[in-house]
Amino acid sequence: MGIQFKEVSFQYPGWGKQFFEALKDISLTINDKDEFIALVGETGSGKSTLAQHMNALIFPTSGTVEINGVPITAKRNKKIKYNSIRQQIGLVFQFPEYQLFEETVEKDIMFGPKNFRVPEEEAREMAKKALNMVGLSDKYLTRNPFNLSGGEKKRVSIAGILAMNPKILILDEPTSGLDPAGKKLLMNLFKSIQKETGKTIIIITHDMDLVYEYTNRVLVLNEGMLEFDGTPDYLFHRHDIDKWHLDYPATISVLRAINDKFHYNLDIYQKTIDAAVSTIAKAVQS
Amino acid sequence: MSYIDIQNINFAYHPKRPILQNLSLSIDKGQWIAILGHNGSGKSTLAKAIIGLLEPDFGTIDIDGMTLSPTTVYEIRKKIGIVFQNPDNQFVGVTVRDDIAFGMENLGVPQAEMLEKIDFYAEKVGMKAFLDKEPAELSGGQKQRVAIAGILAMQMDAIIFDEATSMLDPTARRELMDYIRELHNEGLTIIMITHDIEEALWAQRLVIIKDGTVFRQGTREELLKEPVTFIEAGLELPVGLQISNALKQMNALSLELEEHLWESSLKK
Repeated sequence: MGIQFKEVSFQYPGWGKQFFEALKDISLTINDKDEFIALVGETGSGKSTLAQHMNALIFPTSGTVEINGVPITAKRNKKIKYNSIRQQIGLVFQFPEYQLFEETVEKDIMFGPKNFRVPEEEAREMAKKALNMVGLSDKYLTRNPFNLSGGEKKRVSIAGILAMNPKILILDEPTSGLDPAGKKLLMNLFKSIQKETGKTIIIITHDMDLVYEYTNRVLVLNEGMLEFDGTPDYLFHRHDIDKWHLDYPATISVLRAINDKFHYNLDIYQKTIDAAVSTIAKAVQS
Repeated sequence: MSYIDIQNINFAYHPKRPILQNLSLSIDKGQWIAILGHNGSGKSTLAKAIIGLLEPDFGTIDIDGMTLSPTTVYEIRKKIGIVFQNPDNQFVGVTVRDDIAFGMENLGVPQAEMLEKIDFYAEKVGMKAFLDKEPAELSGGQKQRVAIAGILAMQMDAIIFDEATSMLDPTARRELMDYIRELHNEGLTIIMITHDIEEALWAQRLVIIKDGTVFRQGTREELLKEPVTFIEAGLELPVGLQISNALKQMNALSLELEEHLWESSLKK
């Protein structure tokens, strides 16, 4: 089970008879367990379009997306319950905090499960559990979401998706607009949710530092094509990633510049600042 | 006298939770300053106060010799423009052309002059080929540039960028920063509101905001020498300097390496 893309292409209608091909012949498999995936590429490379295929929000122009065994093709099938797919694959849009609308946090988080016909009491339980998962205490249940800080709002809106207990959670630029502390908090939260529940998490991001430190698989899109599917380590060992408009993580860039300038031979592939520091310290002290 | 002179402003939505507290700040004409602070520090509220989108509970803001008040606010908005974080929140026109025209229409600029200016400033921000495009056909970076063209067309003195690059991809972000540098070189006063230290280091002067007031200010070199200032304000230093400081504490930092890490971190 999970998500399989089989030769998927997607076209947006453009001017006149022209079409814009947002995805070109994509084939890939995503497991519904134990993956932490980064989806990267420049603006317009097709990241969000690919993500929207993963929960049948849009349909391929050609090819098949198989979601937990259900084939999604260009042709809509009345027998397929698309809503149940959207419950299994949770998609969190960029700036989900703008979509909060209920008067209490509890009601906001319960909205999703209730929409999928979960009984009131059960939905209430799910809301509480989801809220705790994003690191907020029960005290928040009665708060008005509009009086929360930006980071808290973001967490409440993520809890709203988690409450539907999706197998796979997709987040579109979850850390954009957050300060360094907020970023770290959120990424550590995803890491612990991933570890505790085994859910697959997919984040769309431009931040290569986060990609390198947290994820275990990277998908690189460029002009609608899947150009790379592998570990972050493998990706950043390559010397040609700028052709996909990607930067290197800051640790790698800083260590590489030190090697170049001082003719050291440091292992530049360090995922954290602490690791980079001890690498340099060891070299200096020996 | 400074171009912008903020004296002891205070602002609160709820009396018990002040957002700006006795904040004073002066900004000279032609300066490029970065106002840094973590989420919730009050920096965006300050930006809104400067252009009169919200009125301080007390304290005064003088801009170009005029005291900001309900009667002067429209005059002041002809001098200072703002570019917001989310480009979609500020695109008001149906097309790029309409959007650039919007501010000038409000000012009552004659039609012929307006058309000329639209062409000139669209060209200047590299958007002339897009004049008939709709917002849905533009990228985030392109929408930001349209917003800048609209501000330039009104011949303003200063532009506030309120986390304007935070939704852009790295390429678009670099392009916008390069472009802001050009505007600064042409004499515009630039005020960047950000929590990204890398971005703030492009500015001549940094002002760190914490708990709704000015916590520290100075040149980037002055402030970076006290890393604890940034940590206390909930900010991070550039990765190169974090590494430099950590090595220093371990007595594992040579002078050459320190120099190299500083130089490469400050180069913009």
